[in-house]
Amino acid sequence: MAEVRLDCLFEACPIPLIKTMQRLKVLNQGDVLIVETDHSCATKNITEWVGKQKLLCQVVEVSNGEWEIYIKKVR
Amino acid sequence: MKQKIIIGPWSYLTGAILLAILNTLLFAVMHTPWQITTAITYWAAWILKFFGGTPENWHYFANSASRSEGLSQHFLSNNLSLMNLGVILGALLAVLIASQFRVKKIKSPKQIIAALLGGIIMGYGTRIALGCNIGAFFSAIPSLSLSGWVWGISAFIGAWIGSKLLIKYLL
Repeated sequence: MAEVRLDCLFEACPIPLIKTMQRLKVLNQGDVLIVETDHSCATKNITEWVGKQKLLCQVVEVSNGEWEIYIKKVR
Repeated sequence: MKQKIIIGPWSYLTGAILLAILNTLLFAVMHTPWQITTAITYWAAWILKFFGGTPENWHYFANSASRSEGLSQHFLSNNLSLMNLGVILGALLAVLIASQFRVKKIKSPKQIIAALLGGIIMGYGTRIALGCNIGAFFSAIPSLSLSGWVWGISAFIGAWIGSKLLIKYLL
């Protein structure tokens, strides 16, 4: 049940999404990935993709224009 | 309500409908659909003129009445230039109202090289393709111009190659 942070700050689309896909692949079931981003489009395309993968996810705006996307690898 | 309209991202459908309505209105008022990169070319040419260059002698400007007229205008008198200014001010206003404005830092030298190389290739590309994804694609297809479809297919191939390069060099 590890918690892994992925720094995607100052990166533009589609880099945050591709990095998220790659990192989730090597995580174990039950792990949580926290994606840090300041790119609003990333919060949309990452949550969309996570939904299609049937994983759990929650977006928190940690400061103005900066988000953390919590993704739980439930399967 | 506020969360949904001002802060949250809109759906692609909402965006598509709004863009279609706004571009139609723009065409009705300005007699030209939305375009971006021609004005950016003027911006660059005006800067060059300011420093003593003579872009008015270039084939690109000299052989076109509308382009030489554009070149003789300035930042706030040219319609296309004002359109771009509107896009920038509108985007700034939207991000300020949503309180999401941030100054982005540069993370690595790779980003600088990619931005400069990408900008040069895109700028050159828009001149030989006679427009960007807005003027030569988004505005061309509703004008029933075949060139818009050719542009779209070419951009699809270019984006595919670009995404391969992005994964190889930028990730």
